[in-house]
Amino acid sequence: MQLAHNALSIPLAAVNAAAVQPVVILLLCVAAGIGTVLLLPGKREASFRNIGGVILAAMGLIFVAMLVRFAAGTTAGGMNIYFWVFAGIALLGAIRVVTHPRPVYSALYFILTVFASAGLFILLWAEFMAAALVLIYAGAILITYVFVIMLAAQSTSTRAADVVAEYDTISREPFAACAVGFAVMGLLLFVIFDKAAALTPRPVDPTATATLAPISGNTQELGVYMFNSQLVNVQLSGLLLTLGMVGAILIARRRVVTHDAAMIPETLSTPATPTDDSPYSIPVVGTDNPRAKAYPET
Amino acid sequence: MSQLALEHYLAVGAIMFCIGLIGFMCRRNLIIMFLCTELMFQGVAINLIAFGKFHNNLSGQAFTIFVLVIAAVEASMALGLVVLLFRQKNTLDADAWKELKG
Repeated sequence: MQLAHNALSIPLAAVNAAAVQPVVILLLCVAAGIGTVLLLPGKREASFRNIGGVILAAMGLIFVAMLVRFAAGTTAGGMNIYFWVFAGIALLGAIRVVTHPRPVYSALYFILTVFASAGLFILLWAEFMAAALVLIYAGAILITYVFVIMLAAQSTSTRAADVVAEYDTISREPFAACAVGFAVMGLLLFVIFDKAAALTPRPVDPTATATLAPISGNTQELGVYMFNSQLVNVQLSGLLLTLGMVGAILIARRRVVTHDAAMIPETLSTPATPTDDSPYSIPVVGTDNPRAKAYPET
Repeated sequence: MSQLALEHYLAVGAIMFCIGLIGFMCRRNLIIMFLCTELMFQGVAINLIAFGKFHNNLSGQAFTIFVLVIAAVEASMALGLVVLLFRQKNTLDADAWKELKG
């Protein structure tokens, strides 16, 4: 069982340093950057965007092929097909989140990415985190995002429903953004493949309570660890959540006075919301005395 | 049991982080920009879980729980801000606020 514990680290012992050459990373990142520039929403023709997608997909496939060859050459041998499937889905979904011109589809692709990441977490024996990720991200956060997107789309529905807004179809500085992003990505990948081989895992302490149990799952151990070793952090995160809730209510509740009179629709000229907590403060059409009944008593 | 080296998971996390970074810089829709920050949180969470598995302890998972907490708080505050900004300019375009100079 101890051997199985360390299976993640076994390939590291047999790593030859040249997993992926830095020059190759550089070339891949440059080509993928060009592909992403083409793929980002812009004024270009659809064929250009397709070319960008093909370039990006080709670079990803080359990178994956090199990694597979590298993984097959190590003592662990073979490849874990689930990892490649989940990682591929997650990264494709992430690309589509960034490049899809419609916000609702971006949010849906993000849900796909979240599910694939949950699969990766299960491969890493973090099944509680996988469940929490699906519940919190896909279930709560993303639904809130979709609601806000639909609210915003509804209130600007004067234009046709299938017309995408101009700020969604035209990117801001796609070349500079891709240059910076892929420079950071190349650096990170270079450091990861250069230095990760030198890392050695901490030896498994048989007396430690907080070790991963490969068979029964580790949700119970995680709970014990959280409330033994991270108690202050748990309290602080609870406080942070409360503060976030109060802050969000305070921010979104503020009434905005629109000075542009043309923007106020005619139906809203009679305010329907109370100005204070008294229910009698709701203005009643046709009378100055809001307490007077506007209908005959039967 | 996973038979992959640590750097495969780290690479996935790094690539996802950088995709989110690119999206945050070049998309103009406020909601999509905050969606891209969530993408960056995803990448960091994958890194944390992979390191926790690598070192055989639970700190990575505990940190990921806190990252989730931060992400939830950030989403609520960000969406409140987006709603507020949307009601003032009636658009989600981030460039509508470009008169704000730091």
